[in-house]
Amino acid sequence: MNGSDHNQWSEDLAAYMLGALTPDEVAEFERHLEGCERCQGEVRWFEPALQSLPESVERQEPPPRLRAALLAEVRADAKAQAGRRPSLLPDWLRERFGTRGLRMATGFAVVALAVAVVAGYQIANDGSDEGGGASTLVTREHGIAVKMVRDGDGGTLHLANLHQLPPDKVLEAWVRREGTVEAVPALLVPDRKGQAETTIADMSGVDTVMVTEEPQGGSETPTGDAIVTMSVPQ
Amino acid sequence: MPLVGRKDAEAFEVLYDRHGGAAYSLAYRIVGDRAAAEEVSQEAFISVWRSGARFDAARGSVRSWLLSVVRNRAIDFLRSKAGKAPKLDFDDEAVLEQRPATERTEEEALRRETAGEVRGAIGNLPGEQAKVIELAYFGGFSHSEIAQMLQLPMGTVKGRMRLGLEKIRGELAEGLA
Repeated sequence: MNGSDHNQWSEDLAAYMLGALTPDEVAEFERHLEGCERCQGEVRWFEPALQSLPESVERQEPPPRLRAALLAEVRADAKAQAGRRPSLLPDWLRERFGTRGLRMATGFAVVALAVAVVAGYQIANDGSDEGGGASTLVTREHGIAVKMVRDGDGGTLHLANLHQLPPDKVLEAWVRREGTVEAVPALLVPDRKGQAETTIADMSGVDTVMVTEEPQGGSETPTGDAIVTMSVPQ
Repeated sequence: MPLVGRKDAEAFEVLYDRHGGAAYSLAYRIVGDRAAAEEVSQEAFISVWRSGARFDAARGSVRSWLLSVVRNRAIDFLRSKAGKAPKLDFDDEAVLEQRPATERTEEEALRRETAGEVRGAIGNLPGEQAKVIELAYFGGFSHSEIAQMLQLPMGTVKGRMRLGLEKIRGELAEGLA
């Protein structure tokens, strides 16, 4: 493309940034933009100018009832979410496949670990290292307090603030080691205080620890939603 | 922002306290009516609350993302309102309703254009450049609609948009120097 041909795109660029192109023109421009470094650079250069536009309007004071209404709505929403069965499935994944669809997938372990990796990064920064021979990772997810105490080759996973489970359900812990999911032999049984713990004999090579709700007796591969997922620094 | 994505109501409260004023001001600037601005702001914040997990920090600040949501909601509001029953600031609405659609659009544009004072970055632009940027960004009009209402060639409208943005960008760069 020569400079003359490119003038057409340069002419459209400001209109594109101002939202003044039609949907068809936007699609056409974006196809060009994808492969044009010159236009990409111009978009980046113009971006501060565009961002200054909403900042240039005369300041108005929003009515206090707007804040009150918004906070009431989000608090009610957050409370309703907390009351539901906890799950770490991201909304977009849930919307796209649905829980049933995920459960029916043939690669249970693969799917569960995809969830584990997504959610695990969310909590990775919550970890702390106490130093010395033992190290402790702590986090809180959906109201459940999670503590992973590593000591030597092994570790203990502590959970608190657990809801009481239906009689036909148990909690089962899983570890991912070198891409393979392994069940932790001892199932987690919450006590009256909503606390449970299990021991993981060998933590070497483990990068993710996850807990799912499973049928009585446990499962060989994760079939339930992850209620806890923790990334383990190597 | 990640906390809002994880449905933390306290984080949302902080988000509102930091950006609620700017969001409401922008909504008011576009729709020109306090009740409508309130409705648009509320919709925008709830949308952010529900889709916060999709926010990508690599693509810009939370504030610019939020304000772009507000702008889109406000423009949608104007368009849906104009589609159902255009609000016109003239007595003889019946006569105006008989005008061609392009003229009605022009009246609407003038109403929107005068809804608020042009300030700051745009205020320093030559009038013809400020006008096309105002109509596009705050009025939600396409370049062809603007060309029609100002009776200008489309190329001239796009050229003025570009010159105006270049000037604003240049002034911002000078301010940082």
